[in-house]
This record gives sequence, structure tokens and C-alpha cells, in this order.
Amino acid sequence: MPSNEGLLDRIVDWLPTTLGFKRVASWTLVPYWARRTPVKPLPGGPHPSFQRGDNVQCMMNLIMPLKIKSPIGRAEAALAIAQNKDTIYAGLNNVGTVHFARFVIVGDNICMFSVYDGDFTNYIRDFIATIGEVFNEVVKLVEGGEKVTPCEKNVEAFIQWVHERDLYQVPDTATDFLRDQEALNGDRAVSPVDDDLTLLPRKLVLQLRANANVSLGNGYRAYPGFSVAQVRKQLGLGW
Amino acid sequence: MVDASVAKRLVQAIIDNLPEPVPGRRPVHTIGIGVKGKFVASDVARTYCIAEHFNGQSVDVSVRFSNGLGGLEQHDGWSDVRGMAARFHLRDGTGSDLIATTLGEFFVRNVDDFFKFSEVAKREPYERRRWWQKLGDLLQLKVPPRNPYPNETQSVDAGALRYANRHRFSQLGIFQVGLIGAPESYARASYHAVHTFWVTGPGAVRRPVRFSWQPVAGVRNTKLTDVPRDKYLFEELKDRLRRWPARFMLMMTIGEEGDALDDPTKPWPGTRIRIAMGTLTLTEVPEDQDAAGERISFNPCRLAPGIEASNDPILEARLGAYEVSREVRGGCPFRWRPDDAK
Repeated sequence: MPSNEGLLDRIVDWLPTTLGFKRVASWTLVPYWARRTPVKPLPGGPHPSFQRGDNVQCMMNLIMPLKIKSPIGRAEAALAIAQNKDTIYAGLNNVGTVHFARFVIVGDNICMFSVYDGDFTNYIRDFIATIGEVFNEVVKLVEGGEKVTPCEKNVEAFIQWVHERDLYQVPDTATDFLRDQEALNGDRAVSPVDDDLTLLPRKLVLQLRANANVSLGNGYRAYPGFSVAQVRKQLGLGW
Repeated sequence: MVDASVAKRLVQAIIDNLPEPVPGRRPVHTIGIGVKGKFVASDVARTYCIAEHFNGQSVDVSVRFSNGLGGLEQHDGWSDVRGMAARFHLRDGTGSDLIATTLGEFFVRNVDDFFKFSEVAKREPYERRRWWQKLGDLLQLKVPPRNPYPNETQSVDAGALRYANRHRFSQLGIFQVGLIGAPESYARASYHAVHTFWVTGPGAVRRPVRFSWQPVAGVRNTKLTDVPRDKYLFEELKDRLRRWPARFMLMMTIGEEGDALDDPTKPWPGTRIRIAMGTLTLTEVPEDQDAAGERISFNPCRLAPGIEASNDPILEARLGAYEVSREVRGGCPFRWRPDDAK
């Protein structure tokens, strides 16, 4: 744009847009900075909050890597869901706090994405009570799943296992992601601090190295703040 | 109430950071365009707020879109905060104002913060970062600072960044300013009123709320790689309105106990109840821009009965600062309430 730019200026401006630079940086710079400035994985699931609006329409993005990483493994997972469709739907009705839920196979992962009301541990506890058998069928196909099945007999371990596979939810605002990192590191500093905002891109890259799968933002809601019970009551759908 | 001397100091702090004085004009958001339109509230708006313009009747509205920078130079294509000041004209001749910008959160919490920010974020020479410095940034996995725009020799960016590095409350606002870009049209940006207001509904139910305008045409910025054009937003808006009206939805988010009610640097979560309060239809750019764009004077605390300012110190300070600015530039006085003789 400015007229005083030389060839090297143009090359350096163009460099970060190139696939080659991104690949080389991924192989060299990212591991280097990950060693120099290690970043811990951020925990998954919604941020703890006492506020009502934060405790309805919570998201769960559960990614579970399959043991058998092949079409056979994926077919087994698909079959486990298909064979238990009635059980799952009846269980979801009985849980009563779920807005939406679906199973998805992505790569060699079986994923469960859901939107629910209330506390995460109670949500999983309710699931164990209502469709624990289905979870057992699915989780036995997943890496490390045998340690927490049958889930009815390993309730706390199972809840922790699910939590560890629930994706970190990157906040809607970029700087809140820094606050998450600071909270994880026990940094409770207040003004004045000595931050370097220009490091935000590196911090994001390294965080996405530590948390390879994440949920981007808090998600859109057409009718935020309303629970399943309120929506069903308002629409006259019964309870 | 912020006293008059503080309001004058606030305005002076802004004037002192201008590239050159702009007598008779606004010290910030200097470049702007007035537009006429009508607002019609949604069916549910009246159940949340008793203010006249939310009762469902069509209300005349005056809007002024603006570029955030102070000074007479027009740089539409530069990355900059844009303003959308709206006045709802009420039946008794008074008005209710809603002042919003493309910035989602403000960068200071109160007047003291603002003065400290003004001391740090002064205009400084702004030069292209050398190629080897940029290479150093890339090796550190940093994004190099943007190149100066054509004819841009000074900027407050470096000072604002220094301030943000020292104050976490300001980081979100300042980070957003850095990425805000330039809209393709004033009618293709979202505008946020940043402060909390209290609205009163039927039965005297009071709720803390924040307002945003969302463009029906959708949000669209110019490409960062394009050479920025200095003057296109006024003509684009005139052309657009000659062909078809431009519409905005007024969205109102209801806060909860525990949300930041008096701090414009803190966002509210997206999980809060959000109400569509109505639709603004912009129809015409008046010929007399001196009246519609320049002499018209807005104030974020000029509010119809049914809407009240919160205790946000910045909102409180704006009440006086906008009046001082109006007096300095000879802006048009406006009645606040039916019994107000002004």
C-alpha cells in the first residue's frame, strides 16, 4: 500500500500468507515455542457460573477416538447408535433437560454434541441412569473406554472421563481466552500488569496445539436464556 | 453527576490529541452523514419497555453515521470505529437518543481511566515496520503491526497497546479496535451502545439491558488487502437509499444479576435473553446536511421516560461531555423533557 515499500518488504508481507511458510512454521517454530513457553491444555465444557443464563443451553462437544481406526471401527460405532435409537430417544426424553443431541462420526472419532440445561455432572449422571447401557456399548469401542465401563459401576470415573473428552470452549472474545490461560496458571494479577498483547497469536497457536480440538465460541442461540422446560411449556408441548 | 469542569477536561483531552483543531465541528466522529428514517417497534417491545417509541407506532428517527477519527480528514477505508447515533422523535417534540458504535466494548471503566489512557495513547509518528523486524515478529509467531495507510504519518495505536498491556480491563476493547476494519457501507455494520440502561416495563418491572443495531443487509467489511479508499461511504449510502431502504434490527439483551451493569469494558455472555425490539428503516439522506449531520446534537443520556441511564461512570461522564462539546461547536440545543425550557 505505501509507496516506500521495497521488494523485501513485499516478500515479508506476503510470506505469512503462503502455504510453505505455514508448513515450515508448523514443523519448526511451533514446536520450538511450545518447548520455550509450554502451554497446558484448557479444560473442556462450559465455564463454571452461578448465573442462571449460563446454566441453560450449555454445550457438550464430546470427541471419543475409536479403537479401530478403519471403516470397520466406524461401522461398529454407527451400528451401536442405530441399534439403540429407541433407547437413546426414550432416555433423552426422560433426562428432560436436553435441547438437542446428536451423534456424529468425524474421522475415526465418535462424537456426541448436545445442548442441555443445568449442571454437567448431573447431566451425565442422568444419562448413566437412563441410557447407561448404550454408553457402555459405545464407550467399549473407544480408546480407554474399558477403564470406565460399566459406567453404572464407575459413575465418578465415567463423569471425569467424559469431561476430559469434552472440548475446550474458546470464549467468544479473544482476550477472554487469555483470561482462561491466566486462570489455569493461577495468575490473578490486576492492573497494572506487564502483558504483551502482541503475543496473543502465539498463545492461540500453542493453545490449539495443546487442545487440538476446540469449540469455537459459545455458540449461537436463537432463544438464549430459556430452558427446555420453559420452551416446551410456552409452546404447549406438554411435559 | 460528573461536574462541569471534568466534562470540559474530558473534551479538552480529546481536542488535545487531534492532528489539528476542528473549530465548529465534533472533536471525534467529526466526519459524518445525517439520514432520515422511521422506527417501528416489534409486537413484544412494549411488554419490556413503556418508552413511547416502543409502543408500536411508527416513529420518525434521525440518524448520524460517522467515522470515529477526530479531524477533518476523511479516511473511510481506514480501520476505524464507526458511529451510529439515533434520535427517536417523540410526539411532544422531545427525543430519545441511542448512541452506538461498531466497538462491542469500551476500553476504559471510568473518567480516571480515560485521563490516564489519554496521557499514554497520544498520537505518535507511525512508520512502516522494517522487513527484518517483521521477519523477527514472524519467527516469534507474532503478527506484525499493519503497514501505515497512504498519507498516514501518526497514530495512537502504539500508545493504546502500551496502555492495554498494563490494564487487562482495556484489552478487549483495544484488541477489537485493532481488528475492526472498514465497513463496505454504514448500513453493513453492527453497532453497539456498550453501556447498560434500565428499562421499565408494564407493572414498573425494571430490567438492565444493552442495545445493539444489527443490519438486515448483513455485516461486511472491505478486504484488508485492498488499497483503502478515502471517500466512499457517503456516496454508497446515498446510492443505496435511492434504490432501496436500509434496515436495522434493534436488539436488546437483558442482563442478569452478576453481570457487569456499570462497567462498559465487560461484555455480557451470549447466553443472555435477547429481544428484537423493532426495525429501523432508513429512507433518505437529507440535502441539508448542516442540520441533519452537523448541528444535530446527540446525548446518550437523553432518554424517553421508561429508559434510564445506569450508574456506569463513563455513561454519566458522557452526559456532560456531549453538552460541553455541543456548546463549543455551536450545536443545536434540544429539549430533554416536555417541561424543559431549553
